[in-house]
Formats: sequence, structure tokens, C-alpha cells
Amino acid sequence: MNSNRRQFATTAAGLAGAAATWSVIRRRHGLDARKARSRVAILSAECYSDALETLLLGALRDFGLNIRGRSVLLKPNLVEHLPGAPVNTNPKLIGAAATCFLRLGASRVVVGEGPGHERDTEMVVSETGLEQELGDREITFVDLNRDELVRAGTKADYSGLGRLWLPKTVLGADFIVSMPKIKTHHWAGVTLSLKNMFGIVPGMKYGWPKNTLHWHGIHESILDICATVPVDFVIADGIEAMEGNGPLQGQLRRLGRIVLANDPVAADATCARLMGIDPRLIFHIAEAGRFLGNMDQNRIAMLGEGLPPNTEPFRVLPQFQNLQIRA
Amino acid sequence: MRGRELVLELRRRELPQGGWSFGDSSQPSVEATTLAILASAAEFPEVPAHSLRFLLSVQRGDGSWPAFKGDDDGSWTTALAAVALSRVGDDSRVREKATGWLVDTKGREAHWLWRWKFKTADAQAGIDPDKYGWPWMPGANSWVIPTAFAVIALKQFSACTPSEEADRRIRTGIAMLLDRACVGGGWNAGNCVVYGSPLKPHIEATAAALMAMQDEPRSPMIMRSVDWLRGQTANLRAVSSLAWSILCLFLFGTPVDDLKSRLAAHAAEVSRIQNNSTLAIAALALQCGETIHPFALIR
Repeated sequence: MNSNRRQFATTAAGLAGAAATWSVIRRRHGLDARKARSRVAILSAECYSDALETLLLGALRDFGLNIRGRSVLLKPNLVEHLPGAPVNTNPKLIGAAATCFLRLGASRVVVGEGPGHERDTEMVVSETGLEQELGDREITFVDLNRDELVRAGTKADYSGLGRLWLPKTVLGADFIVSMPKIKTHHWAGVTLSLKNMFGIVPGMKYGWPKNTLHWHGIHESILDICATVPVDFVIADGIEAMEGNGPLQGQLRRLGRIVLANDPVAADATCARLMGIDPRLIFHIAEAGRFLGNMDQNRIAMLGEGLPPNTEPFRVLPQFQNLQIRA
Repeated sequence: MRGRELVLELRRRELPQGGWSFGDSSQPSVEATTLAILASAAEFPEVPAHSLRFLLSVQRGDGSWPAFKGDDDGSWTTALAAVALSRVGDDSRVREKATGWLVDTKGREAHWLWRWKFKTADAQAGIDPDKYGWPWMPGANSWVIPTAFAVIALKQFSACTPSEEADRRIRTGIAMLLDRACVGGGWNAGNCVVYGSPLKPHIEATAAALMAMQDEPRSPMIMRSVDWLRGQTANLRAVSSLAWSILCLFLFGTPVDDLKSRLAAHAAEVSRIQNNSTLAIAALALQCGETIHPFALIR
């Protein structure tokens, strides 16, 4: 009897160990979207002015993007209007980007976002000043929380979701530009171009907030979303960034930078370094560096100015102090 | 702009198969459909049969409604559907099944394991997980808006068909709403404090939570929340949030005629309101005081 029990316990332990090992080594993605070398530009800008358009257009031309005749979706980060807090991608930058892509030959530019907390999207768009900005430029805004939905199989399997309902506007766009606000995040460490794609997930299916995805793992969901809906380009708003208890309750940090990249992983790795945070310690960035883009600096070509030599690290919550780059 | 004109516009926008999408898509949304049925019922003696037929056709076998046609899961819209069916006088077993699903559906933190986790590892969320409500969809936490509408649906149903189970869920739901109230009154999506920093209340969540508590004792917290909401309306221009505020404040005895005039002015250019749920809730708010309030509770 004792021998049988021992045998059972040994077998059970063996099976549990094998399952654990398998879960670690199993292949979670079947694609490799990494470029031989990604390109990143860090632009200096002290404020949100009309001059952004000229600055942005010049920098975009340096990337030699093939936009002609293609539909472009700009995906900013709009959460809610908190006056004075650098929560949302600035409307001036969004408007400038829309005009730039039209000038580069895009057939159509739309701005789409599905705010994660505030259900009154029209109020968010109006109060943040985006409605005025887009109206002046005759650019359409699409509420991704309430767009027509299509079910898509995820192209990676970190979260176990398997399939996601996604907005038709997103799946139908030829060229997707993630436009995050550079911020710390109290759960994910940072919120940059990859995390920003959480906003394409529709509230009408997943709720406000999209809490089902939290239960499947924030980092894991980010990886599955970004594998399924590849980001073609990044324009990250770091003119006024957020440090501390982001993404809503942190403090203003005047970084004075816009980060452009043709690779979301390279963009996020660079933004994290600007923030004084080691991107290798942010799970979704590190893991995305294995198949979605380049994280290593030796595979990133910097256009124009490089990373500043001395940056005061962003303040972070105590549980994230281990993420800070040590001198 | 009067409520009738908005309802006529809504009727023009109904999909050929019945039901309404949020915008210009052909995918019917249960939220938009139920609000449009409520708005229609407030303005005309009868709701078109094909609208109701559509709503009934998408009810799932377990009594719940999905968020939209084609979705495989039950969702928070079950509460809205129950309210809509209550308003149009449906007395079939459909509503009974819907409320049965609501009684059985809980936020994920109701499970002992997650309750323990929220009390230990996730204490920074600042919630008491013993007080749980309803999720947007099964498998997620309780949130304020789904909880508020589930409480309203159960209170409306149990006014005529009382049950201990429904009453127990109503009490737990109310306790959850009171637990998650923001520091100075009002409600955010679900939490009131994260890592020691208070969150700002939201208008729609506050209006929904207050409507769910319209027949509860007027505690200082409830009255602070009413005051907060009233204060927010001073410069509010967004049609949906203004409409929810009117529907809520009316139930708390606040005069809403001026707010209705402002809403009528903001909603005048009806073609600019692309979201059909916004159009429907604006129609309901403009009808407020002139017809049966869809979220009123008689206990």
C-alpha cells in the first residue's frame, strides 16, 4: 500500500513538474516580426504648438514611410479628462500627426480610441480638446468601444484568450500608429506604445475597464493584442509625461521629447530608457523583444539625437524601484 | 428638440432585422436596443413588435443577453433587457429567467480565493471583497455600472415577485456600491482609492449608482453624491452624461427643467449624435417627468 502511495506521489509530482516545465518552454508565438535594424528618432519639443507639424513632418520623411494611398489609424491614449494632469496624448500632437500622414499621401486618416474607464467617449473627446482639433482638420474620430466587432484568433498565446473581438476600423486599417503618452503605470510599470494598444479592445464586449483582460494577465494580454494587431509606427508624447502613480494619479514630468519609431518594441525600450527604467525588466517589453521588435540598443538605429547622457529617472511607486536603471 | 423627435430619429435608424447598433454598423447592440425600446415606450403607446421580437430573439438559453448579436457570452446588458421588458409590460418567463441569471451571476471577487487575495496581496485596490456586485461579463470583478443596473432590475422584478435570493443579492449589491463610493461622494468605475490616491468620480457611474439607491435611506454619503452630481451639471455639455444626470436628479427631487432645456439645445443637431444609445438616453431624459421613469423603483 505504502509503495503504491509513493508511486502515485512520485508520478503526480513528475506530471506536475512536466506540466510546469511545458508551460514555461511551450511556444507562445509563431511569428518573428523583428526587423534587422529598427529606427528610432528622439525629437526635442518644449511645448504643444503649431510648430509640431513641421517638426513631425520632417522627422517622418526621414523614416521614408510608404504611406501613399493607404488608410492610417492613429491610436492615441485617451483615458479621461483630468485638468492639469498629463493623462492623455495631447490633441495638438494628434492633430499634427493626422495632417502629416495626409501630406505624406495617406488616402484617409482616422483617429480611434476606446477609453478604458470613462464610458462617455464623446465627453472625453470634447473636454480634452480633441474634438475641436480634429474638427478643424476634418479628421474623423471612431469610438473603438462601440465600433462594429469582428472575432479574430490571437496570433500569440500568452493570455489564453485564444480569440478576441476587435473593432472593424482597427482590422481594416492599412497602417496603425500607436500614439501613447509616456507614463508610469501602477500595474504594468510603464504604459507606452504596446500597452496603449489595450485601448483597441472594445468596452462594449469587455467592459469599462477591460477587466477580463486583467484577469488573463495585463502583460500577457498586451502581447497577444500586439501580436494580433501589429503596430506599424509609434509617435510617443513625452513633451509632458507622467511619473509616480501613473497612469492617472501621477505627477507631471516635463521630458520635452517626442519619440518616433518604426518598431513598437524599439520605441518602448527607448522610452523606458529615457524614463530611467530598464526595459528588460518590463515583462511585456522584454518578451515582445523576442518576436515583435527589437529591444537591444545594438539593433536600434537612432536618427538625429540619441539618448541624453544624463537623465533624472522617473519617480516610481516603491514596488517598481527595482526597475530603475542603476548607474 | 423634443423627446418625440429623437425617438422618431431612433426609429428611422433601427436595423432592418430589428434592434439598434451603436453607430452606423449593422451589428445590433443590446444596450442600444434596450435603451431605444425604453425611449420608444415612453413616447408611443406601443413599441413596434419587431423591435421586441429582436430583443427576445437574442436572449441566451441561460436567461442572459449578450452584449451584441453574435457574442457568445452573457453580459451586464441582461439587467437593461429586464428593465426594458418590465417597462413594456412583458410578464412572460423571459424576465424570470433573466433575473434568475442575475441572481446567480457574481463578480469574481465573490469567490473565497479572490476575496482572500484582495484582502492580502491586492489590498491597494482599497475594496472590501465581501461586498460584491456584478461584472460587465462573467469572469471579471464587480463594477459600479453593471451592479447598479442589476440592482435596479432585481428591485423592479421583486416588487411583484419577491424572493429571498434576489433580496440577498440586492443587499450585497447595495453594500458593494456603498463600499466603492469616492471619498467626497460619487462613483468611479469601481475603485475609490488606488495606492492611497483617491479617484475622481464619473458622472454616468454616479447617476447609475444613485438610481439604484433611490429607495434606500438618504445617508450623508448618498446626499453628498447627489450634490456632487448636481454640481457637475453646471457646465456639462456632453449629451449622454447630461441625460443620465437628469434621469438621476429627477428621482432625487431636483428640478430638472433647466437641465432639460440645455439638453434639448445640445441635442438639437440630431445628426451629430451618432451613438444610438446616446440618442435614446437623451430622449428618455427629455421625457423625464412627463411619462413613466424607466428606472424608477416602487417597493
